[in-house]
Amino acid sequence: MKNFCLLACFVTFLASAVQLSAAGSVSFEKDVRPILKAHCFHCHGEEEELGGGLDLRLKRLMLSGGDSGPALIESQPDQSLLVEYLTSGLMPPEDVAVRPSQQEITTIINWIANGAVIEGVEPATIDRGFYITEKERQFWSFKPVFRPSLPTVSNPQLAANSIDLFLLARLDEVELSYSSQASRETLIRRASLDLTGLPPDPQAVQHFVNNTDPAAYENLIDQLLGSPQYGERWGRHWLDAAGYADSEGQADADVERPWAYFYRDYVVKSFNQGKPYDQFVQEQLAGDELMGGQFADMNAEQVEQLTGTGYLRMVADGTGSGAGHDEGRNAVVSDTLKMVTTSLTGLTVGCAQCHNHRYDPISQKDYYRIRAIFEPAMNWKSWKAPQNRQVSLYTNTDRETKASTEAQIKEIEAERVKKQQEYIDATFNKEIAKLPEDVQQSVRDAHAVAEKERSEEQKALIKKYPSTVVTPGNLYLFDRPASDDLKTFTQRQTELREELKPEEFLRALSEPAAEPPVTYVFSRGNFDSPLDPVEPGELSVLSGLATVEIPTNEESRSTTGRRLAFAELLTSGEHPLVARVMVNRIWSHHFGTGIVDTPGDFGFLGGRPTHPELLDWLAHEFVQSGWNIKHIHRLIMTSTAYQQTSTRNDQGNEVDRQKRLLWSMPVRRMESEAVRDSILAVSGMLDQQMAGKAVPVMADRTGQWVIGKENLNAGRPGPVIDMQGQEYRRSLYVQVRRSRPLAVLEPFDLPELAPNCTKRPSSTVSTQSLELLNSDFVTAQARFFAVRLSKLSQDIETQVSVAWRLAFSKEITDEKKAAAIEFVTQMQALLTKQYEEKQLNDDPVIDSVAVFCQALISSNQFLYIE
Amino acid sequence: MNKNTNRRDLLASAGMSLAGLLAAINLKDQRLLANPAKPDLIGKSFNNSEKPSPKTAKAKAMISLWMQGGPSQIDMFDPKEELMKRDGETFPGDIKYDNAAQASSKIMAPPWKFRAHGECGMEMSELVPNMGSIADDITLIRSMHTGVNNHGQSIRAMNSGTTAAMHPVLGSWLTYGLGGQTSSLPPYMALIDPGQLPVDGVGNWHNGYLPSIYQGTVIRPTEPRILNLTPPIRLEGSPQKRLLSYLQELNQSDLQRKPGEFDYQARIDMYELAARMQTAAVEAMDLSGETQETKMLYGIDRPETKDFGTRCLIARRMIERGVRFVQVFTQNQFWDHHGSILKSLPNACKKVDQPSAALVTDLKRRGLLEETIVHWGGEMGRLPVIQNDTGSQNVGRDHNTYGFSQWVAGGGFKGGYIHGATDEFGHKAVEDIVNHYDYHHTLFHLFGLDPEALYFEHNGQKRKLIETDQSKIITKLLA
Repeated sequence: MKNFCLLACFVTFLASAVQLSAAGSVSFEKDVRPILKAHCFHCHGEEEELGGGLDLRLKRLMLSGGDSGPALIESQPDQSLLVEYLTSGLMPPEDVAVRPSQQEITTIINWIANGAVIEGVEPATIDRGFYITEKERQFWSFKPVFRPSLPTVSNPQLAANSIDLFLLARLDEVELSYSSQASRETLIRRASLDLTGLPPDPQAVQHFVNNTDPAAYENLIDQLLGSPQYGERWGRHWLDAAGYADSEGQADADVERPWAYFYRDYVVKSFNQGKPYDQFVQEQLAGDELMGGQFADMNAEQVEQLTGTGYLRMVADGTGSGAGHDEGRNAVVSDTLKMVTTSLTGLTVGCAQCHNHRYDPISQKDYYRIRAIFEPAMNWKSWKAPQNRQVSLYTNTDRETKASTEAQIKEIEAERVKKQQEYIDATFNKEIAKLPEDVQQSVRDAHAVAEKERSEEQKALIKKYPSTVVTPGNLYLFDRPASDDLKTFTQRQTELREELKPEEFLRALSEPAAEPPVTYVFSRGNFDSPLDPVEPGELSVLSGLATVEIPTNEESRSTTGRRLAFAELLTSGEHPLVARVMVNRIWSHHFGTGIVDTPGDFGFLGGRPTHPELLDWLAHEFVQSGWNIKHIHRLIMTSTAYQQTSTRNDQGNEVDRQKRLLWSMPVRRMESEAVRDSILAVSGMLDQQMAGKAVPVMADRTGQWVIGKENLNAGRPGPVIDMQGQEYRRSLYVQVRRSRPLAVLEPFDLPELAPNCTKRPSSTVSTQSLELLNSDFVTAQARFFAVRLSKLSQDIETQVSVAWRLAFSKEITDEKKAAAIEFVTQMQALLTKQYEEKQLNDDPVIDSVAVFCQALISSNQFLYIE
Repeated sequence: MNKNTNRRDLLASAGMSLAGLLAAINLKDQRLLANPAKPDLIGKSFNNSEKPSPKTAKAKAMISLWMQGGPSQIDMFDPKEELMKRDGETFPGDIKYDNAAQASSKIMAPPWKFRAHGECGMEMSELVPNMGSIADDITLIRSMHTGVNNHGQSIRAMNSGTTAAMHPVLGSWLTYGLGGQTSSLPPYMALIDPGQLPVDGVGNWHNGYLPSIYQGTVIRPTEPRILNLTPPIRLEGSPQKRLLSYLQELNQSDLQRKPGEFDYQARIDMYELAARMQTAAVEAMDLSGETQETKMLYGIDRPETKDFGTRCLIARRMIERGVRFVQVFTQNQFWDHHGSILKSLPNACKKVDQPSAALVTDLKRRGLLEETIVHWGGEMGRLPVIQNDTGSQNVGRDHNTYGFSQWVAGGGFKGGYIHGATDEFGHKAVEDIVNHYDYHHTLFHLFGLDPEALYFEHNGQKRKLIETDQSKIITKLLA
């Protein structure tokens, strides 16, 4: 009791103090309701049963209160039970880990103290359960995309296209403007690294710099968009969002996915072909439904469509390696839903798996409606492990060829066996003939008896005449030509087998024609506690925006048609998020940050667009252009904004340090793959072979994960197997083994697959510096770089000039050149001395240039896109 | 937990900070309400240089000896007469088992003898004689509680403040708040075991949503302990020095071309750190300068203690050189003795008892213990009843996160003190319960940090190590 008095006193004091000082007003909708939603609605309004008979979702329900009386008394926080319970920590219950903060409680106290004012009129009735307010429906990302009119700006001559008008309008507000145009060298380097992930070669730079054609820049962009390296670069961005991996994860064994690469190649090809995004999404969500669901004899188009569904098979999946139980299966389903919803719709729908979303208007039931779309193909009650769900790429013709080849092989085998026996018999007879005549018949008889049934006498006889034991294994000792002849049969069999097309498989999604399973809401996300069944459907807050119906079971198809309808709904052009999320993703890879800086979360906790109208304009333009991704690249890259210099100025720094308003081009560190690929490109070692099986990763002797074929001997590394140039392929093709991040890539931030990655971090850590200074990879590539230069010229001045062009895409200045020559000369002297002292056999002339090359590829100018 | 206690504590602390609270309402809140919090971090710069040391700080560094799996407090630290009396009888209360299939309610008294140690008379069992020898320097907490009965969740509770995965861990928070005390070594190091990584793998030293410079730097259990740490032999010495000076020239000129580019500056710093690390880290991990006596103190001369002793000694050397936080890990489920406890528990103790005690002794004689917290413990303890009652070779003990023991020493913790108690069976903590929130709050207090003030804005929320405002400092633990 004493405690309670103390509490009451405290609250009174606090409340009066608040009233005295209350300045600006607290909004229920904006400030108070989100707090209550995050911490209270779960038990007080949104569940079937009302905790303590109290519903906190509307003010009038708070006033009428619950079992303990009114929760709220206007203007009297000290008399309001709501405040007492929150302040004392009685509520939320003690086992709830996430607690309202002191600041949040204060907001509620403030609101009550100010008279508990609400805006508008509360609904007359409210269903038990989930309730979406008008305010929530009006949240920016849930509203239909609307093509805004173009703003007027103070300097319209700065605008190259509409994008600039939106950006300039915002800059006008803060009295900033664009920076000057970047140099031609900078532009071509920026565009090349952006679109291909590789620096331009010096000839291309020179050509572009000297090209006076006004369309030169547009032509450059078209040329880069048309190069196969474009798909490799942008395919990799998409693979982050899809959570691509070449292994299953979950178990320690981290089983490999030998066929995942078909999906990787599909993505690369789709970007290169300029596949419309709507088609790309549809194939990935429902390629199996699009191609008719018949896998026995697919044509190229059907294979492509089915390969797209590899997207839905990318999350970690332990169900074939020890986690085949219900929990493991459900984990795959829920991770897939997380991946799909964050990558395509930018919503953290996964947060509504166990309870209604704490922040976004997404109910738990909504979550299971989305789950129902996928459950016919991902039925946890009738589950196939990854190794049992591969789809063979054999066509009927392939199968027939294989069958006839197998038959041929069998025939040859029969012939061979027959022939072998003939040779054995002939040799046997020859050997018998060599024996004394009187024993010939008895030895012959002894051999005719099966080995086990021979008498002691017969055994002794055979032992006495061992040369009569002729077997397939020793025939060659008696009759070399015969055994050589037999080998030709085996040879023919091997040749036939080799002629056969190897059977390859797709890691794909398919849906059995069986009756679809019933999807249930799981109480607290627990699959052991199913509640009500749900039908497939779109999120409630978005329902009615796009008019595609999701069927329960489309009779005209062998599948339910749920995923296909969902894909059509997403790509109908009416869905408010799909186009916005994709243009934002494209934007973020050009400028480093999206218009929304949380590309995977367009919800309440995500970032707000810096330029909402521009985002809508782009999204609309994207759909209008036929979901043409390359069109968006062109628009962005031909804007004045993109062509600015990245040099900062004080005025801009003061207002917008992060350059979110694009008063200057942001400087971005290259991603790990681009760092490695660019090093290989300048060293001249890059192998541009596209597509195909993943280049394997193994542990070297120090335990680092390096490229190589594992060759273990009693658990220890055996001899190194020559990779024949495969080790110099682009990073995209290096196996993404979850447990084996490539040592060269890891320090420069790899996507964290949890289960997918919608935004990569960009760190600056000492392990990056150590790698560039000391790793075998970098020092070896620096040497290759030097060898490349020495083949061009033996003259240091030429070497440093060419190196500069290769590494930085620009001409070296005289001052820098002098410093470079001085460095190489000094280094040569230092190394000569060092090699003498340490008795090393290396060549100080080449190596001094190699050290210079290493400095270039370790420098900021090389690692950053300016 | 008792609700009245909760409320009383809350009021006590709320009352004390009332002025601050009101000030916040007046100024901050109104402003915050007007502008929604910005989750943006781009453009901010983070580094590991030493932050101004809080005036109230008692501790400057911490070594956590992380005993993953659940060391049996019943057999090592928490003697109970009642268990001895009722060995083999049926346990009278409720028990939460992890493994129901092998569960039994038969009480198992510890088969090892306890005796009092030091002037304080702290009782510990014969399994850990060396820890007994440092009894007067440590605080033995017998009332630990996380209440989540699985390894993963309880590890996260103890190590990162919440049961959810991928929350920044204690070491990340400490370095975020304080930086390192040296510019030659990473401020936070994870010394992993040669065996399998503990449950949760790299999550144990993950920075979560904090910038990645606050991630623990893994020191590999075998040579080379840090990759790429040594220059190629061709470049050792003056060639590399020249390379670095030229590289920094290039980088400086890039910074001049792009003034104000924080990343360019940071990379210049990182090259300097990397260069210093080449000598500093090699030197810090080189034990050849340690005396034979010291090596023997840590048990480096004996096979069973060689690995753990070496890592404890490296930990001391790191702290000596200004590293802020070092965590030394045992291997996966090292203490998870569901079965064969009679054999495996003594083996586990033999591996860590001597090196752990040696670390405290060594720090103390070097005058480092005063400013260095040493923590010894894991995510749980074990039950007073038998698991797998199928013969003495097989018996074990199941999980218990409702009452377990750990010890802490130095850095402002009391010596020779036993804190809290479990019930008569050593099962649940009942007296002076220490949950992970209070433990972390107390650690922060010793480092002079306010857990409320040390936050990081992530997705528009202020995230903290302790995500409840009801944690408290356990003053009884303080010297």
